[in-house]
Amino acid sequence: MAQTILKYALLVLAALSFVYPFIWMLSASLSSESGLGSLVLLPEGFTWTNYVTVFTKIPLGRAFLNSAFVAIITTSLVLISGAMVGYALARLDFVGRNAIFYLIIFTMTLPFQITLIPNYITMVRLGWVDTYFALIVPFALSSLSVLLFRQAFQGLPQSLIDAARMDGAGELRIIFQILVPNILPTVLTITILTFMGLWNEALWPLIVIRDEPTMTMPQLVTLFSVGGRADAQLGVKIAAAVMLAVPIVILYLFFQKHFIRSMATSGMKD
Amino acid sequence: MAEVLLKHISKAYAGGPTVIRDISIDVKDREFVVLVGPSGCGKSTLLRMIAGLEDITNGDLLLDGQRINDRAPKDRDIAMVFQNYALYPHMTVYENMAFGLKLRNMPKDEIRQRVTRAAQILEIESLLDRKPKDMSGGQRQRVAIGRAIVRNPKVFLFDEPLSNLDAKLRGQTRIELQKLHRDLQATMIYVTHDQVEAMTLGDRIVVLRNGDVMQHDTPLALYNQPANRFVAGFIGSPPMNFLPGRIVADGTALRFESAGGAVSIRLNGSVHQQALAAYAGRAVELGIRAEHLTDQPMNRQRSYFSPEQLIVFDAVERMGSETLAYFILEGQRFVARLSGDSTVDTSVGVSTFWDIDKAHFFDADTEQTIR
Repeated sequence: MAQTILKYALLVLAALSFVYPFIWMLSASLSSESGLGSLVLLPEGFTWTNYVTVFTKIPLGRAFLNSAFVAIITTSLVLISGAMVGYALARLDFVGRNAIFYLIIFTMTLPFQITLIPNYITMVRLGWVDTYFALIVPFALSSLSVLLFRQAFQGLPQSLIDAARMDGAGELRIIFQILVPNILPTVLTITILTFMGLWNEALWPLIVIRDEPTMTMPQLVTLFSVGGRADAQLGVKIAAAVMLAVPIVILYLFFQKHFIRSMATSGMKD
Repeated sequence: MAEVLLKHISKAYAGGPTVIRDISIDVKDREFVVLVGPSGCGKSTLLRMIAGLEDITNGDLLLDGQRINDRAPKDRDIAMVFQNYALYPHMTVYENMAFGLKLRNMPKDEIRQRVTRAAQILEIESLLDRKPKDMSGGQRQRVAIGRAIVRNPKVFLFDEPLSNLDAKLRGQTRIELQKLHRDLQATMIYVTHDQVEAMTLGDRIVVLRNGDVMQHDTPLALYNQPANRFVAGFIGSPPMNFLPGRIVADGTALRFESAGGAVSIRLNGSVHQQALAAYAGRAVELGIRAEHLTDQPMNRQRSYFSPEQLIVFDAVERMGSETLAYFILEGQRFVARLSGDSTVDTSVGVSTFWDIDKAHFFDADTEQTIR
């Protein structure tokens, strides 16, 4: 009994330590500037001013749409390209198949910072700086997506593909109409991981986008918070950060069940 | 009309082994041909080559006289039923059966008509809205067959379709497949490793081993006149008994003597005398089926052999309709099929009678039947 209580006490403590910064952020964003600086649960001097200030100072709505557009299009491309490459690596026979696969896996070990400069130069040469292309194209193929799709496709029986081929399906139809519907947990995992990664990406947009109407939310919020435009008002910065976090939190709550399940089963056969 | 002709077909994987060697088979219109052999004999590969799922390395595949080697699977007018059913898990039974027709741009009405008709034939009308995971193995198998039927193909291919079913259902489905073949009047090619399925279903059977055709004939011909020791041992249950030995000529007397000397069979007057005379002094192997070893004295007119030594059975299986009695002779496992009311036991010695006219002799080197 005592052991159970201890266990729960520890768990509650751990949960609080994770959740408290978030609660503080929420309440701080709703507090007046003078009420900030203490550790609180509820806002002190409740006010919406911080949010109003954010929206009047920066085009947050436009940035939200930019972020959503870029994240949705890129995630779709990651799913489509990942499924196609993963299928080829899992099911088609061609010379150098494994070499290509290992090369793709190898790229996963490279930190993004290493390819940052070459990527930037490429964008400049292509004339894509300050366009959505710079935000979308470099991320349209992800090695993680290829890896997860490949593993999932390998777990499906070959006869499923054979049957579809006898029925007259071409490769694309086999991938998207026969195989993908049977690995939805994997698709969901890739969707969530990719979407979150893209949504939170601030470094790359900072480099390739200087034009404010094309900026994504994290970029705009970062520039706003550290770039001096918030006039050192902590509450306003925090309000901007909350706006940045809200969509992903809503998304998480929505897919929570699938998210946990897909993380747990993504490597296994169905 | 749907005649399938395999002419000198071979299959080799790049840098790998040759899995099919120069196979020629003719499948007549409306014939039910079974490809049978142990695992790894190439039977499934051969079927997949006919389906178009594997490339043909050499040779010609003809369907009604037209070479179809390079035709895509969907353009061959051939349907296939897979061992693990291969139903699309995310589609209902109806969608599973309609999928191939939709891709052929068939009008909706006709699709509905065909699926309903096939469902009636297979008695799965009540399952049309279900998904594969909500059905039993037998039901899934029917849907898999239904998916082939709706296409109304020239040729049906079956890849071990019964091996995932339990014994009772397998027997039942075997009979239904026979009936289906009669009703559809279609050409069917069927792969199995189970010789009982081969015997019961096939108009003709092709026995394969390591990528070679061992024999291609009717079930009874395979059983009664096996071309070689492999077919003799593979077809028939319980399997044929074998005893290595040699042919000994002593003046005009011709005998088979077993390697261990326990068995000496006089061949004069038997149907084998003429053929075996040429083998005097050479090693051969005797093969005799369980039902040709009895504990009842035979008609003296026939050529039979009865070892002087009494046989002591080491295991007796009473099946009711028959009794299988096992013994070991010169290190070889033997089985005799006795009548169901036989009273033989494991403790007492029994005289056995071997029907030598029904026995087979195989060349010890080539394993071919000596005729």
